Amino acid sequence: MNNSMADQLEEAVSALMTGSQSGPHQSDPRIRQLLAVADELRYLPRTGFRARLRTDLETAANHRAMHRPLDILPAPPRQRGSRESVVPPLFRTGSSAFPVRGSHLAISFALHVAALSLVVAWGWWMVENRAVVRKTVAELIPSDSYALPAAPGVSYGGGGGGDDDKMQASHGSAPRFAAEQLTPPAVNVRNEDPKLAAEPTVIGSPDLVLPQSTQPGDPMAALLTPPSNGIGSGGGIGSGHGGGVGSGEGPGVGEGRGGGIGGGVFRVGGGVSAPRAIYAPDPEFSEEARKAKYQGSVVLSAIIGSDGRPRNLRVVRSLGMGLDEKATEAVARWRFEPARKGSQPVAVEVNIEVAFRLY
Amino acid sequence: MKAIEPDAHERQLIEAAQRDPSRFAELYETSFDRVYAFVARRVPGRDEAEDLTAEVFHQALASLANFEWQGTPFAGWLLGIASHLIAGRWQRNAREPEICADELESIGVPEQTERQAMFSQLVDRLPEDQHYVIRRRFLDQRSIKDIAKELGRSEGAVKQLQFRALENLRNQVRTRRE
Repeated sequence: MNNSMADQLEEAVSALMTGSQSGPHQSDPRIRQLLAVADELRYLPRTGFRARLRTDLETAANHRAMHRPLDILPAPPRQRGSRESVVPPLFRTGSSAFPVRGSHLAISFALHVAALSLVVAWGWWMVENRAVVRKTVAELIPSDSYALPAAPGVSYGGGGGGDDDKMQASHGSAPRFAAEQLTPPAVNVRNEDPKLAAEPTVIGSPDLVLPQSTQPGDPMAALLTPPSNGIGSGGGIGSGHGGGVGSGEGPGVGEGRGGGIGGGVFRVGGGVSAPRAIYAPDPEFSEEARKAKYQGSVVLSAIIGSDGRPRNLRVVRSLGMGLDEKATEAVARWRFEPARKGSQPVAVEVNIEVAFRLY
Repeated sequence: MKAIEPDAHERQLIEAAQRDPSRFAELYETSFDRVYAFVARRVPGRDEAEDLTAEVFHQALASLANFEWQGTPFAGWLLGIASHLIAGRWQRNAREPEICADELESIGVPEQTERQAMFSQLVDRLPEDQHYVIRRRFLDQRSIKDIAKELGRSEGAVKQLQFRALENLRNQVRTRRE
């Protein structure tokens, strides 16, 4: 072979590549044959295209195969000229991108199942535990209507007062009953010229009417003279204290305490309705009682005022382990629709049983 | 027109790829040369040939689950996809399609395509230096001068390599035909 043949061939190839010659038209048959081969070579793909397309297809196939069980074959080394006998797998093992093995999928599946089970179990526990808490709280109130039990006896109330006189209170009539008291009654008025005059009253149902006279005093007193507010304290008339009339305590009339007439606060029954809890936040278990799984009931005595607020809370039956305090704290936050005597709201003394139970 | 004999191995490859798309690469390797050769002869430029070839294989991958083995060679199915794509492209360009339905038989592949695919395999078997020159000169369309610079040899030497490589290819083609 001489150089002129190679040069001649290159000239023909250049013409072919630039399109100035569309095919082999050389006179030399040898050159013409080689140019025919060169013409075929023009239609071969560019270097790298085959590999690039394969990579693209691998990515697409990878996408499609994500949810399929995979047959993993190790990638045999690719060799020139042996392509027909080589069966290269799309997914390679080792550190190449996206290695996927059946065992990996199984482990991943197991981990996902475990995680899901954990979430479900946790949620189930929360729901169950919440049910226990709610049930415990629901049991704290003995009645589903929150209606408090009626007292077995008749209602009674009372009040008392005094002005630290040396003499017992003098006989007279108690002032009229009212729902609130601005000025306590007095036989001897200390301030004859008050800046803001108000009618003296005692607390009780306005429906209560006592015999009236011109002389104020204690209806139960034996002495008529000299006029005296009595030996009690806190304003009012009598030997008690609290702004009422009599020997009791409070702004009512007579013995007892709390208001009204007689010997104490109102009790449910005898025309006095029971108060009704309208806001009753749940008491909490003390940590000590919860750990010990301690259960039982606390009974509290309380006066439910005409404003619906409980006061004078005291423990009648103790349970201990901090539950008395928890019950008292909770009931102190309760609000009631007050008891009524007729149409008037009145204060009543009731017992409240708070049950602590664990389920 | 030359018919490709479907063999049991190809059927196994197709069924494996239908079960597991990752095995599609094996079909790709056995079919690439034919598909590219078929497309390259029917579109004006290499860019378009590469685009269409890629589209053929992506469509084949997407439709592989629908392929039913009826004795038809897989390459015939791919070339069917290619011919539809080429026809669609020509129609979009408002020109008469260069390829007609008669050009392809249902189970055959144009002989020219087969010959082209054969050249691709023969080039891979050339000696290293001849393979390099042919690849750079015809596949990458570089000039003799550029190739000589890359190899650090004279232009005359590169022309000689090109001459010998083409002779080598011609001889191998003759040998195969015989």
